[in-house]
Amino acid sequence: MKLLKPFIFVLACTSASAFYPSIVNAETLAITNATIYTATDQGVLTNATVIIENGKIIAVNADNADNADTVIDAKGQILTPGLIGSMNKLGLVEVGAVSRTRDGGDEKADITFDASIGFNPRSTLIPYARKGGITSNVVVPSGGKSIFKGKTFAVDLTGRFESITASNNAIFVDLGAKSKGSRAYDMQQLINKLEDAQKKLDKAKKKLAKEKKAKKDGKKSDKKEDKEPEDLKRDELIINAILAGTQPLVVYSDRATDILALIKLKKRFGINIIIREAADAVLVMNQLVQADIPVLIKAMRNLPGSFDSLHTSLNSAAILTAAGVKVGLLSTDAHNLYQLRFDAGNAVANGLSKEQALASVTANIADMFGLNSGAIAVGKNADLVLWSADPFELSSRVVKMWIGGDEFTTQSRHDALRKRYTTNSDMPRAYTK
Amino acid sequence: MDILKTIDAEGKWLTPGIIDVHSHLGVYPSPSVESHSDGNEISSPNTSEVWAEHSVWPQDPGFQAARAGGVTTMQILPGSANLFGGRGVTLRNVPSQTTQGMKFPDAPYGLKMACGENPKRVYGGRKVAPSTRMGNMAGYRTAWAEATEYKRAWVKYNKDYAAGKNPTAPERNLTNDTLRGVLDGDILIHNHCYKAEEMAMMIDLGKEFNYHSGTFHHGIEAYKIADTLAENKNCVAMWPDWWGFKMEAFDMVQENVAIVDAVKNSCAIVHSDSSTTIQRLNQEAGKVMYRAQEIGFALKEEDAIRWITSNPAKALGLSDKTGSLEVGKNADLVLWNQNPFSVYAKAEQVFIDGAKVYDRFDEKYQAVSDFMLGQPSVNQPMSSGK
Repeated sequence: MKLLKPFIFVLACTSASAFYPSIVNAETLAITNATIYTATDQGVLTNATVIIENGKIIAVNADNADNADTVIDAKGQILTPGLIGSMNKLGLVEVGAVSRTRDGGDEKADITFDASIGFNPRSTLIPYARKGGITSNVVVPSGGKSIFKGKTFAVDLTGRFESITASNNAIFVDLGAKSKGSRAYDMQQLINKLEDAQKKLDKAKKKLAKEKKAKKDGKKSDKKEDKEPEDLKRDELIINAILAGTQPLVVYSDRATDILALIKLKKRFGINIIIREAADAVLVMNQLVQADIPVLIKAMRNLPGSFDSLHTSLNSAAILTAAGVKVGLLSTDAHNLYQLRFDAGNAVANGLSKEQALASVTANIADMFGLNSGAIAVGKNADLVLWSADPFELSSRVVKMWIGGDEFTTQSRHDALRKRYTTNSDMPRAYTK
Repeated sequence: MDILKTIDAEGKWLTPGIIDVHSHLGVYPSPSVESHSDGNEISSPNTSEVWAEHSVWPQDPGFQAARAGGVTTMQILPGSANLFGGRGVTLRNVPSQTTQGMKFPDAPYGLKMACGENPKRVYGGRKVAPSTRMGNMAGYRTAWAEATEYKRAWVKYNKDYAAGKNPTAPERNLTNDTLRGVLDGDILIHNHCYKAEEMAMMIDLGKEFNYHSGTFHHGIEAYKIADTLAENKNCVAMWPDWWGFKMEAFDMVQENVAIVDAVKNSCAIVHSDSSTTIQRLNQEAGKVMYRAQEIGFALKEEDAIRWITSNPAKALGLSDKTGSLEVGKNADLVLWNQNPFSVYAKAEQVFIDGAKVYDRFDEKYQAVSDFMLGQPSVNQPMSSGK
């Protein structure tokens, strides 16, 4: 441990004393001479340095980086935060058509459904996704018949058994066009659920105020009938958290009318809403900005796939971002998660700046789901990717990547197969390992 | 000759028009509504009598989007639910009210066949044959055996007729008409087939019944038998990276196309099978080229472009007409703003038979489907509040 003591001292005083206890054993890693896309207001830093300790970024552009235990010279290459996947079944599906490898849904699943219990960090999809510089991901359940599909959860892509970083960061609700029934019925269910829970809360609040007053006046309260929080059902606790604004709702919704209905809900109940897909978002973008509702959209969705999605184009990300909507780029296919950087590149080809595009696959998604990653800033998880060139280009590749400060490979089963069949041998292929 | 117009393409790239050998545009159009779901005649494992051109909806907005991506020719295929899905049709990507107006003149028909999981799942689920891979194989062989008899009967009839014997004509059978077209070499096989062992069996099947096993589509495991495929003159159409949606798509490698391509006399193709990626086949090919370069393949742009131009032209039996920039070929051209194998590349102008069909900077050359007319255009969304 030969780290610059004065620097740590300053850091400890100004921000996190939590760094202190670990300093004794911590190894430090410095990445120097990088072109850092911070995905923060700092923008792009050239010839810059990042120092990592205990899985966190402890300094950006500090002096004395040479004193770190390990120093990696980036030689001017681009360093970005690790990319963040979202709204896919990573770890909940191995082979789409093999039912016994699918754990994303259950007919009876409801708002309380916690698919993270079934998450498989040993999935072959995870190392493959790392090829795209993906370091963390928000997994979404497919749920059951209910419009409430269950809890989304965050994972890192270490492949370790401890990969789940947040088992419950939003509730996924599926709204909009349906082949049987009406969208109105679904929306009504959501409204009613919130309305009923709000009524209960208001009632309890009134009662509490009454009792306080009674106590003040020296009267006995009828405590027996009080419902303690532990008496609430699981779904009630969740709805209350949604109403308190601590539990976001991520809602699948395309048509402008549905988006407007959600904006109304946010205003009425003060809930925290993220809209997923939002094909018609360009029609109501000013309302989205006013309501401070972020959207997760597909960069490549430009065909009118349904009557709900007549207004989506390759320019959508750029148009929405320019209007002030916070945009994240979706990666709904777990097997093709690695392609997210190319989606971002295509968004750049269609009007987004490179920095905006990077934010749309890092910081913006982290903000929506409350992840401590997606940016190169002090205190953030050291989820970093060093690229051979422009991260959005087809021709570039991951040179090195770190998740929580540890370096990970991008090699996957696919490479083993390719090597087997491109290696010359005088024995059958099965002997090439 | 008189030069009527000159386009200054300084700094830009000119390629042959892009060809997609595997598309379902028009038969599975946008919007994807029940009324337009016309790509899979899932009523019998052998529906060789159906023709994709009878299902194509020419107003599919996907045709316009593909044109903006430089696609000038595409084969529209029936789906893969059946052992024999029916005839595919090769279309020019020109706007037309009719499918006839889009057909590539004199292009051979394709016959869609399907290996593996899809047919056995669809029919096995109904407790009818095939429900296994051996059932698939028996289904093909039975059909080819019948078609062989059918052909024999017609050949004999024609011979007797020519000899003035006044024979009775055999009964016309539309299913066997198509299969006979294959046996006669007039119709080309396009075979949805992922796995190495299945492709090898389909090659043998062609030998058994005396037709060429044609082009394998999806070919996830083609890299395992690249030599066999080249020896037997099979083209293989592949994705750069799709995988994992089925067991037969589990063994994907990102360099599949390049490994197949590296063998002498090979015919590697990058296809889309998607209304989305058909718009960026240049990028799909680019992904393969760069991944292969990373592991030491000496591939260049002039190699990768063949995967989406001359090789698919070959698979479609159109090598003499399109797929390369040569004197005498159809003037199917794409002018790109830069190296087309970049994520930032865009087709600026697209020409089919010498006529400009798309111009990124001139609305006059940006066709809009009837379906989108009167709706705010795909590329120009309505601004808020208006």
